[in-house]
Amino acid sequence: MIAAHPEEEKMDTLKNKISGNDPYCVLITITMIASATSIGLLFRAISFPEANIVIVYLLSVLITARITRGYVYGIAGSVIATFAFNYFFTKPYYTFSVNDPTYIITFAIMTVTAFITSALTSEAKQNAMEAQEKEAETSALFQLMNRLTDAADMSEIAGITTETISKTINCRAACLCFDENGRPEQSFIQQQSTGKQVRRKVHDASEITDSIEGLRTAFAIGEEFYDWPIYGRETILGILRIPKETAIVMSEPNKRFLRSVIESTALAMDRFRSAQQQQRSREEIEQERYRSNLLRAISHDLRTPLAGIMGTGEVLMDMTCKDDPKYSLVQGIYKDADWLYSLVENILSLTRLRDGKLAIAKQPEAAEEVIGGAVNLMIKRYPKYEIKVRVPEELLIVPMDAKLIEQVLVNLLDNAIKHSPSDSEICVSAVKEENNAVFTVLDSGNGISVSDLPNIFKMFYTARPEEGDSQRGIGLGLTICEAIINAHGGSIEGHNRTDRQGAEFVFKLQMEGSKDGQQK
Amino acid sequence: MVSRNETILIVEDDPQIRNFISYSLKQEGFRYFTASTGQSALSNLVSEKIDLLLLDLGLPDLDGMEIIKRVREWSEMPIIVVSARDQDKEKAEALDSGADDYLTKPFSATELMARIRVAIRHLHREGGNKQQSKAGVGDLMIDFDKHLVYLEEAELHTTPMEYSLLSLFFRNIGKVLTTKYIIKEVYGVGYGPDTQALRTLTASLRRKIEKNPAKPRYILTEIGVGYRLSDE
Repeated sequence: MIAAHPEEEKMDTLKNKISGNDPYCVLITITMIASATSIGLLFRAISFPEANIVIVYLLSVLITARITRGYVYGIAGSVIATFAFNYFFTKPYYTFSVNDPTYIITFAIMTVTAFITSALTSEAKQNAMEAQEKEAETSALFQLMNRLTDAADMSEIAGITTETISKTINCRAACLCFDENGRPEQSFIQQQSTGKQVRRKVHDASEITDSIEGLRTAFAIGEEFYDWPIYGRETILGILRIPKETAIVMSEPNKRFLRSVIESTALAMDRFRSAQQQQRSREEIEQERYRSNLLRAISHDLRTPLAGIMGTGEVLMDMTCKDDPKYSLVQGIYKDADWLYSLVENILSLTRLRDGKLAIAKQPEAAEEVIGGAVNLMIKRYPKYEIKVRVPEELLIVPMDAKLIEQVLVNLLDNAIKHSPSDSEICVSAVKEENNAVFTVLDSGNGISVSDLPNIFKMFYTARPEEGDSQRGIGLGLTICEAIINAHGGSIEGHNRTDRQGAEFVFKLQMEGSKDGQQK
Repeated sequence: MVSRNETILIVEDDPQIRNFISYSLKQEGFRYFTASTGQSALSNLVSEKIDLLLLDLGLPDLDGMEIIKRVREWSEMPIIVVSARDQDKEKAEALDSGADDYLTKPFSATELMARIRVAIRHLHREGGNKQQSKAGVGDLMIDFDKHLVYLEEAELHTTPMEYSLLSLFFRNIGKVLTTKYIIKEVYGVGYGPDTQALRTLTASLRRKIEKNPAKPRYILTEIGVGYRLSDE
């Protein structure tokens, strides 16, 4: 807690300076003059020289100036003292007239002396007071900083700030925090009385945001509060609200103090935010590592046995005569394992793509090489099919993640082969159209049925072939293609050929803008 | 069954995969040893006379890369690396560390045997006469002495850079060469990692020797890794 007394006393002095009128000070002035007069009367009774009386009056003015605040009472005191001296101690007594004109000089000197004395005294007192105020401010700020360092969250910081301001300026200050998106929170903290804070609902959130955004001065004027924004390094962190009646009459030193408090609060809030962000990114990295470890483990644990089954199946097929019924059984095992393997691969790719976590490492690649790679894979997998390839004479360099685009082509070609008889023609080509590289995969199979057309890119959607599930699709191939092309910022579509029977899949990739990709 | 003299070491931690590889090798007439860990692989390499190493990169105890580097300290034996599909970086790194070829799981036994035969042939060719003056694949021939290239018996005009690239491929028939390695060999050490120039060079060479550059018969692209001159 902040030591209460010096602050409260200081607050009184500040208030007095503003009002400039305090019965206490008037009373002191009157008492001092009255005492001086009584002593003077006593001196006259025992026949002391008059000069002593003058000295007593000067002393009374000095004491008045020392005790009271400001210059007013000292100056008033010196004038009153002169008149009192005139009234009580110069002949004729109890009148303001003077018999001996030399007294005029006495009056003048007395007034001037009293004036100077009181002025000097008041100034010394003023300086001392200001120094004290500054010291109190400094210590309040220091304590504020100390407490802010230990604050555990934003609302605690707001609470501490509110308390400090309320105590120092003697008002019911409030503080509204903004969230990380720069929007005000639902409620704000207000000081109710010493040691008691309440949370009040924000009714005019958008109004507050608007008034702060358009702000050209240090604060915004609202219905109940004057709002001082607390700016961090990047965004607004909150606003400090001072009740209107207090804010209107706030003195310059108070405003200065307020600015310092706002600065310290901004620093503390900023520090808290960045610590929070660091913590969060650490957690994210941790999670990401956990995820990728898990994916790696799953993929390894599934792929390895499947690779074993497929390899063994192949060897068994080689050992078995094709007429042997065992051959088709082993072939069944092989095909199922192959299907399962593709499924695992596809699910893994899709998981990575869907999360948006798969880093697309775009690099300038030759379109013909990627097509060549995909076609080469397909020829190995389906030696019976003939795949035609057409690329332009001019080398087509396209920024892309070659491995992923190769997968798109493989998936599209795989689809084409699955839906076409083995002697039919499949064609893949790439051309340059304006700023795009356009890749096309054509087949001359049955095409896509009208009912399937809107759904082909949907997850797990497979066209139902008439011959049952002898050639089951995985239903993920096209979904993955779409995800990959979207991640590249390109577009993909599938429809039936217009020139003849068959399906046509087209995807476009931007040719320029590779710099963007690389910078990411 | 053909009988061969070469001995192959299979390093693979999955017993099923080890089994079918062993069986296929036996069918081909190779002698072989198996190891399921990196440590036992290393001790096998020291105690036996091994001609070719078939290495799974994902071993439980040692990093496959570590084994490649250690073997390369004392031996030029062909190393074929086996890895999962999404380990392109590891593949390229393994090739740069000295591996000769790679296979992606799941691989077929036929494919594996083809790769092993290529590597063995490569081994004999290098072991036999290092300073061969001519080499050929299909209809493509190179004369190292005369710096000439022949396609279907006819002399083919190549630029010095194209010749340099082609001769690099012919000195490493069937072997996967990483982009990094090719750039270093063709353009020099100080050239940096710019793959664009290499792609353009390959494209222009392909346009001279391939019937369809997007369906190459000679210079095959290994996406994400590099290139290889086909051996078939």
